[in-house]
Amino acid sequence: MIHTGPHEMSGLAQGEGFLSLRGLTRTYGTFTAVDNLTLDVPKGELVAFLGPSGCGKTTSLRMIAGLVPSSSGHIVVNGQDITAVPPYRRDMGLVFQSYALFPHMDVARNVAFGLEMRKVPKAEVEQRVRAAIAMVHLTGKENHRPAQMSGGQQQRVALARALVVQPSILLLDEPLSNLDAKLRDEMRNEIRDIQKRLGITAIFVTHDQMEALTICDKVVVMNHGRLEQMGTPLEIYEHPKTAFVAGFVGRINRMAGTAAGGLVPIGGIQIAAQGFHGPVEVMVRPHRLALTVGDVPAAAGHYALGGTVARTTFAGDILEYEVDAGGMRLTTEAATRGGETVLAPGTAVTLSWRPQDTYIYPAAP
Amino acid sequence: MSAAPALPAAPARLDSGAMSGTRVAMLLLVPIALVNAVGFLWPVVNLLKMSFRESQATGALLDTYSLATWSAVLQDSFNLELITNSVGVSLFITLLTLLASYPIALYLHRSSGLWKTILLVLVIAPLLTSAVVRTYGWIAILSSRGLVANALMFFGMANPPRLMFNLTGVVIGLTEILMPYMILALLSGFGRLDPKFEEAALTLGATPMKTFWRVVVPLTLPGMALGCLLCFVLAISSFVTPKLLSGGRVFLLATEIYDQAIVTLNWPLAATLSMIVLVLFGIALVIYTRALRAIV
Repeated sequence: MIHTGPHEMSGLAQGEGFLSLRGLTRTYGTFTAVDNLTLDVPKGELVAFLGPSGCGKTTSLRMIAGLVPSSSGHIVVNGQDITAVPPYRRDMGLVFQSYALFPHMDVARNVAFGLEMRKVPKAEVEQRVRAAIAMVHLTGKENHRPAQMSGGQQQRVALARALVVQPSILLLDEPLSNLDAKLRDEMRNEIRDIQKRLGITAIFVTHDQMEALTICDKVVVMNHGRLEQMGTPLEIYEHPKTAFVAGFVGRINRMAGTAAGGLVPIGGIQIAAQGFHGPVEVMVRPHRLALTVGDVPAAAGHYALGGTVARTTFAGDILEYEVDAGGMRLTTEAATRGGETVLAPGTAVTLSWRPQDTYIYPAAP
Repeated sequence: MSAAPALPAAPARLDSGAMSGTRVAMLLLVPIALVNAVGFLWPVVNLLKMSFRESQATGALLDTYSLATWSAVLQDSFNLELITNSVGVSLFITLLTLLASYPIALYLHRSSGLWKTILLVLVIAPLLTSAVVRTYGWIAILSSRGLVANALMFFGMANPPRLMFNLTGVVIGLTEILMPYMILALLSGFGRLDPKFEEAALTLGATPMKTFWRVVVPLTLPGMALGCLLCFVLAISSFVTPKLLSGGRVFLLATEIYDQAIVTLNWPLAATLSMIVLVLFGIALVIYTRALRAIV
């Protein structure tokens, strides 16, 4: 079965977005940083822009914020084309990767900045600043300078500063990448909680698929400035539309073959590949490969490949094997439950998997 | 004016390694302390002594000491005006230099690569020629038959304004001569100015104007303070440029000290005025450190 049908875009018909990008493009000389980006972000959703560095996700975000002019295309918010509106009239809250807190102001004045620019009355500024600082659990730190605070605290201040003005859209540019692992998990959930509580439309730029999958409503996978796929985390993970998405989101085994007559011969077995001709890539995720000791025939409807264990990696929660099978090296992993024997390299094993866990894409030319 | 700052005694909890480190530091400071003592402190002490020496009307020095010169200087309205005038003119020149240099420094800070190198060389290039040469350059431009006057007359102005041998000439010349120092000082103080801060301000609703005043200016205050201190000190002690461009019509401390020491041969008076300049430097330094503490 091949999951490359059009249904992944279900619920995302054009024009439904609170924020809509239409053919958004940015070129630097001959280099195209963002190429004809068209997508819709529904109101109140947290959408991840996911991709490797240099894929154009940050440039897209900066175009939405108005910090980078677009070469062509349109940005529409709530039905209004804001493509030509300067950043200071766009009403967006941007959280920077490096926080960008004003070093000459304390926490309270940093948070108050946006309100002061909007000429909010003093008493209201004070009250809203206090509420915003409380929201990010920094009450009592109002008079601290950014330099006196940890990275996590600075990130909270940046979040409070962006949100206190009640922007129409919250933009987060790799907000967690400067934090250590434990703090990253904590802040990730906190950002999600706050976003949900406020019901604010938000865009979250990240290169970390875990961040994108775990907290976002929709994921936009980008590569080389182009949109590869947009969908829910489940759709992106289970039904990757392109070989790039399959390879970038989650781990995957790649097997090269040539399709003919609806079949791809790989390692001595025939894999169904309806509608494919010529060179293809067949992919299976490691944890969808079941490993059995010995030479076991395939269960009904399953694919099975015999091989030998080449390398064993015990990672505590996960046991990973690299298996030489059919002239390829495939990785399999399984959660440890305790009591299993760790197979030694050289052990004869059989790898089997279900047809629906098989992804097939035309090989890149 | 102490040459070597006193090092605090190493706390007891530090191990012997740190102790010897302090000792090495002290030892390394000895040469510069000696140079400063011989080349700066000793002459200043001599100057101070000279300012208390009595002299005859002919200028001949006597071997007696008194407060005569000091009380004369501080009671003479000409000298008091000389001091306030010098401070005022130097402050004005410093302000003009800051205004002229700031946009250049900001542009330099924001440019990069080869272009930045070229611009930096252009900024520093004037420092490679002496102030005397540059002052003569200004004479060629500002004199009554100079470039500006000729141009103005060419465009039909019958009596172009006098740009030299008055305060205007001194201000124009010194401002240009001090600009490289100001630009370099500003640049060295622009370290905290990251474009991210300006972008953050813009996304928070600050117009470019507001961003400049609320973010760029505060972040560049340390550079401004350093540049102003440097230029004020250089302006008040500059001598060649005011001498050549004022034509003896503008009275400033530095030129007056020269006249008293070389022309009138009233060394005690020259020494007293020099000490007053030194006191002004001290005041400027105190204001600078206070300002720096207030803005950082």
